[in-house]
Amino acid sequence: MIASGAVASGAAGPVDAGPGALRALRALARSATARVVAIRLLSAVPVLWGVSFLTFILLNLLPGDAASSILGLNATPQELAALRAKLGLNEPFFTRYGHWLGGVLSGHLGASLISGQSVSSILSQRIPVTLELIGYAFVLSVAFAVPVAVLSARRPRGIFDRISIWLSMLGLATPNFVLAIVLILVLSVHLNLLPPIGYTSPSADLAGNLKFLLMPAISIAFGLFCAYNRLLRADIVEQLQREDYVVFARAKGIAPRRVLVRHATRNSLFGLITIVAVNAGTLIGATVIIEQIFALPGIGQELISAISQKDVPLVEGIVVVFAVVVVLANLVADLLYAVLDPRIRYGGRGA
Amino acid sequence: MAAGAPELAVPVAARERAVRRHRRVPLELVLPGGFLVVLTAACFLWPLVRSMPGPINGNFIPDLPALSPGHLFGTDPIGNDVFARILYGGRVSLEVGLGVSFLGTVVGGAIGAYAAFKGGIVQAVIMRVLDVFLAFPALVIALVVADNLGKNELDVIWAISFFSIPANARIARAATLRQINQPFMVAARLGGARDGWMLARHVAPNIGPQLLTFSLLGVPVVILIEAALDFLSLGVPPPNPSWGNMISTGYQYLSSDPALVIIPGAFLLVTVMCFNLVGDALRARWDLQ
Repeated sequence: MIASGAVASGAAGPVDAGPGALRALRALARSATARVVAIRLLSAVPVLWGVSFLTFILLNLLPGDAASSILGLNATPQELAALRAKLGLNEPFFTRYGHWLGGVLSGHLGASLISGQSVSSILSQRIPVTLELIGYAFVLSVAFAVPVAVLSARRPRGIFDRISIWLSMLGLATPNFVLAIVLILVLSVHLNLLPPIGYTSPSADLAGNLKFLLMPAISIAFGLFCAYNRLLRADIVEQLQREDYVVFARAKGIAPRRVLVRHATRNSLFGLITIVAVNAGTLIGATVIIEQIFALPGIGQELISAISQKDVPLVEGIVVVFAVVVVLANLVADLLYAVLDPRIRYGGRGA
Repeated sequence: MAAGAPELAVPVAARERAVRRHRRVPLELVLPGGFLVVLTAACFLWPLVRSMPGPINGNFIPDLPALSPGHLFGTDPIGNDVFARILYGGRVSLEVGLGVSFLGTVVGGAIGAYAAFKGGIVQAVIMRVLDVFLAFPALVIALVVADNLGKNELDVIWAISFFSIPANARIARAATLRQINQPFMVAARLGGARDGWMLARHVAPNIGPQLLTFSLLGVPVVILIEAALDFLSLGVPPPNPSWGNMISTGYQYLSSDPALVIIPGAFLLVTVMCFNLVGDALRARWDLQ
């Protein structure tokens, strides 16, 4: 509140924009949310550094290097030595790491040792595919989980609820790659409805793109749907049984359906959003198998080949991006929780 | 006294009922638990008791369908008995699942309890290092270990333990912090107990049930990760059977013989589901969050 007021006054008086902006910054520094965000981001820095250092150590432990994977088995020692010198692989461990870290701090992720392409351009080609797949899966899973959970919670232990509980138990135990294979078997091999593998970019052909990504997205979404359904149903049931506002709403004579949908479900959705945000971080690596089965040009495919080719800068780039996504997703989850739940939002200030 | 007796009778009966209800093992624990016991016995003991076809180097009988004489689940295209491969593959899943959870509970538990117990700078350093591991993409370590150490079951266990140890350590730390200011801890400290003794005799028994339940809930996750590594041919290498690599090889014959995927897939699914059910039932019983 204070921060937005200061920004408004700064914008209103363009003449003293300098002091106004300064005041806005000061106000921002005073605001509790900004401080929490800043502390969280700062504490993520050593974690990210640790992740990158650990990756470097692990890759250093691997037998062979990029030079031997480029030249193959028939390379002469002279050729290998020349290529190593060219790629800078002969430098000591800490020199190489320092070189890479210096590049990152000045905003350059370096270039792939194998293809020579810059890591950031590879990432910008591959990451959108993976993100689209994850986003698609999230949309599908939430779109089905919310109505199913609400219907289950309407009559706990009723027939619909029991079916949905068993479906969830089944789904949580289904490995996504087995589901993917079964989907291919049924939808592609037998019914011939969907193409088993392939990819077109959404800018070229959006309908084709969504069709190609449908089976991969379902493979990921089914497990998510089951987890969300279970969580949301349990949360709604608990809200209906325990919370004072539900008792109050009922006492006012509001229709049970309205209490269920407008009161209990709305509150339970906050918890779900938090879980979705946390999941977004962990899922970015978990799509590798699905990308492999459906031959999607996502980041997971790139990671597998980069590791087997000892392409250190590329692996580092991918790993750091993964870690940043995990850190940001957790931060967003915490913030969303605070923003959405008025008890937390106002709790600190009121007390 | 005479007036008190009938009043007392009701609560006693109620209490007995409650005790009986608590002692009665629920069906959702018995059925999946029973399946897991039978599966374990079948995988580890059945091949010892009864002679059966080996899981590898089959005798080049062409791909037989399920329920063929002598081959309950038929044979795969190389002539190996699928039932034998399921049993030997089940060993891998169970060994890796339980092995990783055991390592996670013992090593992670010790690290977490020690961190909480020591507090201060020791705790801060340990927890930051664990944060790094938890933020580390799970797959990368698995891929690197698979590439580095060669591929066998023991290395798969090590690779997956990289994730179970930090997760267990966090749980153990939180559980230990709840115990640390309990009167019996203070009493033991005043009685001159040493750190090791206090960790082993006072902390461990109190955080044990929670850690064990957490580990049990982790077993199905580990089994799925192991199967996924095998599926990507980064785990147990063929021809040795595991459910994951059976699915992966069966995938090549998907249109001609889908049973090669469906049978190991079904075993994987039911086993994971049973572990989930047992874990949930135990968690509810011990009232853990």
